[in-house]
Amino acid sequence: MRALISLTIANIRSYLRDRAALFWTLAFPLIFIFLFGFIFQSGNFRTQIGWADEDDTAQSQELRAAFAAVPGVELMDGSESEVLDAMRSGTVDAAIVVPAGYGAALETAQAGTGAPATVTLYLDAAQTQSAATITSLVNGVISAVNLGGRPPYVVADTQPIQTQDLNAISYFVPSILGLSIMQVGIFAAIPLVADREKLILKRLAATPLRRSQLVGSNVAMRILIAIFQALVIVGVGTVAFGVQTTGQWVATAFFIVLGSMAFLALGYVIASFAGTEDAANGMTSVVQFPMMFLSGTFFQLDQMPSWLQGVAKLIPLTYLGDALRQTMVGGTPLAPLWVCALVLFGWLLVCFAIAARFFKWQ
Amino acid sequence: MQPAASPSADPVIEVRDVHKHYGEVRAVDGVSFEVHAGEVFGLLGPNGAGKTTTVEMLEGLRTPDGGVLSVLGVDVAKHPDRIKPRIGVALQTAALYPKLTVVEILELFGSFYPRSRPADELIVALGLDERRRAQSRELSGGQRQRLAVALALVNDPELVFLDEPTTGLDPAARRALWELIDGLKHEGRTVLLTTHYMEEAEVLCDRIAIMDHGHILELGTVDELVSRRFHDRAVRFDAIDGLDDATLGALPAVNSVRRDDGAVLLHTGDVAATIGGLLSLAEARGVEPQNLAIRRATLEDVFLELTGRTMRD
Repeated sequence: MRALISLTIANIRSYLRDRAALFWTLAFPLIFIFLFGFIFQSGNFRTQIGWADEDDTAQSQELRAAFAAVPGVELMDGSESEVLDAMRSGTVDAAIVVPAGYGAALETAQAGTGAPATVTLYLDAAQTQSAATITSLVNGVISAVNLGGRPPYVVADTQPIQTQDLNAISYFVPSILGLSIMQVGIFAAIPLVADREKLILKRLAATPLRRSQLVGSNVAMRILIAIFQALVIVGVGTVAFGVQTTGQWVATAFFIVLGSMAFLALGYVIASFAGTEDAANGMTSVVQFPMMFLSGTFFQLDQMPSWLQGVAKLIPLTYLGDALRQTMVGGTPLAPLWVCALVLFGWLLVCFAIAARFFKWQ
Repeated sequence: MQPAASPSADPVIEVRDVHKHYGEVRAVDGVSFEVHAGEVFGLLGPNGAGKTTTVEMLEGLRTPDGGVLSVLGVDVAKHPDRIKPRIGVALQTAALYPKLTVVEILELFGSFYPRSRPADELIVALGLDERRRAQSRELSGGQRQRLAVALALVNDPELVFLDEPTTGLDPAARRALWELIDGLKHEGRTVLLTTHYMEEAEVLCDRIAIMDHGHILELGTVDELVSRRFHDRAVRFDAIDGLDDATLGALPAVNSVRRDDGAVLLHTGDVAATIGGLLSLAEARGVEPQNLAIRRATLEDVFLELTGRTMRD
């Protein structure tokens, strides 16, 4: 146990002193988050809101006019079910439903004889950025309609609704976390091959240290780094860009650990076939870049040609990203969580078997 | 050679008829020797002679294809794990984590053993005091080699393997390391050393096995090896035009004639008679032998005799 802990500490020290490793596994994902976060934040505010008027009275039309007058707001009219469908498919960012009887309720409220009239606002909580903006926008319009009356004549009843499209930065944060977990895992190949090339593995073989302790310390170190990365990435996403997490931390941690192990096993496969440190560098690039672009990290899968979608469905990062989006920000599933877990576990087993067969210690 | 001065009669290392093949290449081809407690034993030979393969089999890093390998009474091929805690190893290349410091590396390796010497003690003993916080990649060749030897001592081993410990070092660093290895002997440790430096073997080793092409050609103390081959001394001078080997060989008391780099070596049983004859021969031709010197045969001569080649790096 003492040997395992010392070796893990030694590995972490070496890692922290390796500028290239630090860049790829820590700075690189953060740069992405800041870059995309600022891209999505900039520009003039524009939003499309579905408008379902089930009341169709002078009062409801007045309210519509108030919303339509807000700069950047575009209203799309339809029935309640139509606007909700439009929202689920991502055509509109929010939906407002004015129920039948709104006009009558407003009149009694203004006469001071009844409860405030209600309109229903449908929002996707996961689209944090736009949801917050739309909420304040709706509240602004409604308080104008109320003319500061106490009690208010109209209130908005906010209903959560899960839509297909996460807003961009919420989609991004778990995706980038998946990407960096992949990098921590497969990049393990490079120091491993370097240690073999420098005969460090051979030197260790001349001590009582067991191979299981050597691999164990490597796994421990990589998982610790992955957890640290998760804290940094989620922290930056939450603080700097207001990403709201759903709080399923146990499930999230499970996928971080499972994903780290699957990609670490893939790293050992690379180390099994790379003879030199340079070869290991090249092979990790060959593995990481296609995965990065085909896994839905940067583009959602349905924006790709169908044959590429087929490729994407074989890639472990697709499932890690999907599982993290589901558990962290309530993203729409590509596959159920148990399928994601099964695919990652399958990759772990297959890579482990290949590495166990072909990995050379000397 | 001293007949086993140590109280324990059992050899520390026993190698009997050991073979190791890589495909067609017979890296080690029927090697046998014993190393006794407290001695510095040297495997001397050119690169590719099979020294490293032999040592790595004894360290439990390679398994032999045949033969008996016993280290500290343990059958290494069967139980490599039993000897690893008891031996110290410095590989041919100092294998050091580049980004860890001297102290960190020593403490890391110490943690692998049930019992280990404090890092500070080793740092002082090996003169690495000023570099203790330096990362190993910043060390000089001599410092790296010393750290590799320190790592071999971290578990306070009875037996230390040093594979080419001074290769690539400058003369000063080499001498510093020689002193250190000599110190190991005085601490009562047994040392198995490989080298391709004649001088190193002569200075450090109690006994030497000369290896080439996977075989041991000769084994004994330096004096034994030399006197077994050369009872005589050598007269050396720059070659003189017109004096061929047959003429020189006919001089009084000359046993053999050898030429090396423009010089002639006459091995002789009677130095005075040979030089007298040589001077008369030269005088008859009106020349004087240049750089005339008398020397005792050395390990180098033995090696040349055995392998037919000199071994310089």
